[in-house]
Amino acid sequence: MLHWIQYLRGYVVIKVWGYSVERLLNLLGNHDILVWDIEDHGGYHTMHISVDGFFALKPLLKKTGTRAAVMGKYGLPFFVSKMMRRKLFVAGLVCCILFWCLASRFIWDIRIEGNYALTEDVLMDYLEERGVRTTMKKSALDIAALEQDLREDYDLITWTSAQLKGTTLVIHIKENDMPSYEDRADVKEQGMDLVAEKDGVVTYMITRSGVPCVACGDSVKKGDILVSGAVPVYNEDTTVRKYQYVQADADITLRYGQNISLEEAIAYDEKCYTGESMEIPVFGAGEKQISLRLFDIPYGYYDISEEKKQVKLLDHLYLPLYYGKRTVQEYEITPKMHTDEEMKALLQEQWRKIIVTLDEKGVQIVEKNVTMKKNDKKWVLQAHMQLEESAVKLVPTATEPVVSPEAEEEQAQ
Amino acid sequence: MESLKLPKDTMLGAAIVTVTGNREAFIENYKGILEYTTESIVLQGKNAKICFEGSSLSIDYYTNEDMKISGKIDALRYL
Repeated sequence: MLHWIQYLRGYVVIKVWGYSVERLLNLLGNHDILVWDIEDHGGYHTMHISVDGFFALKPLLKKTGTRAAVMGKYGLPFFVSKMMRRKLFVAGLVCCILFWCLASRFIWDIRIEGNYALTEDVLMDYLEERGVRTTMKKSALDIAALEQDLREDYDLITWTSAQLKGTTLVIHIKENDMPSYEDRADVKEQGMDLVAEKDGVVTYMITRSGVPCVACGDSVKKGDILVSGAVPVYNEDTTVRKYQYVQADADITLRYGQNISLEEAIAYDEKCYTGESMEIPVFGAGEKQISLRLFDIPYGYYDISEEKKQVKLLDHLYLPLYYGKRTVQEYEITPKMHTDEEMKALLQEQWRKIIVTLDEKGVQIVEKNVTMKKNDKKWVLQAHMQLEESAVKLVPTATEPVVSPEAEEEQAQ
Repeated sequence: MESLKLPKDTMLGAAIVTVTGNREAFIENYKGILEYTTESIVLQGKNAKICFEGSSLSIDYYTNEDMKISGKIDALRYL
């Protein structure tokens, strides 16, 4: 606290020497002149004195036969007068504050949250069309109208909330994740067949809608219709009067055999990093890039990896300037041979990956027969598997409407 | 005077010396500074001189009435 008062009022550090410094101190005390931090340096004393006190010092110095010299001036009054001499600096400071005040009246960043189906580009283009863009004035933005227009112009958006956070416009939206009524109606009009995607034997079948064309145990070929989406309506003479079109729906499992062969060579080239590496700084502006490399890369084989960062002002305001580094690592190639254990592990790892992939696709392995063969140069893993999978897909029905006089009559009615 | 219970310093003009450890001294009611070096500080009281001896002694601040001395105080003598 005391320091602050001293700083605000300003003080001078002086050096005093001469016949009787003690007498000067006594006189200063009698004249109520404040001095502090008095130090004896042998030949002279230093002390802190208030600015007013310093101006009243002269007659006392004369009286006591001492002399004084200023060693430093501290405090706000001196700082202000120093600033006054640096007009450009002060002008810069004022301009800076003005710039910030001015800049905070504009929108410098737009963020959209909660969008899944509508991409950010689409929404940004829409905002741009409406004149909502970065660098626009905050006062020119009508948030309520923007929210309403977003809801009205995009059926997919069911809820909007826009808000200004500092100089950032944040738009939260919620999308309707239910499929629209029109989408579902489309499919029903046409009628869909379930066809086989692979050759195989039907092992399981439950039909929910449509006419089953195959039964359990039947062999089917790729493209065969399994469940037809055209349900026939018969005449009394068992001829087809017309078809009612539905979307075929059934649980069908097809069993099929598959052969897999994996190969792995015993000899391989091992990449050994020598530990030698060098880093090259990289700078870029727009499309152009400069790397600060003074000499050629002295390595025979090397990997180059590059890390680049883009200069950005705010979260979304990127400047076309890049900086980063390029790391060059030297390596040597040594031809090596895998041991039997390594070969086995390598092949088993590959085999495991295949099984995991099948599992992820929902394919069930009913039977498998795996053999590993070894010769001079490579190992071969051969597998014969029986797989079960719901390998069916929906296609528009190929059954044409029946052209009969009765059907036409009905349609006319 | 004892029976009136008046403070002695105001009545007699005696100096009050408060020493904290051997690092700080606080003196009230002194009359003037007689000597000031890093080894000794001699002050004038009403009836006696007060002498602080030690090393790296310095006056933190002083006014007409009181004063604060800091440094390593070895002895305090009344001359």
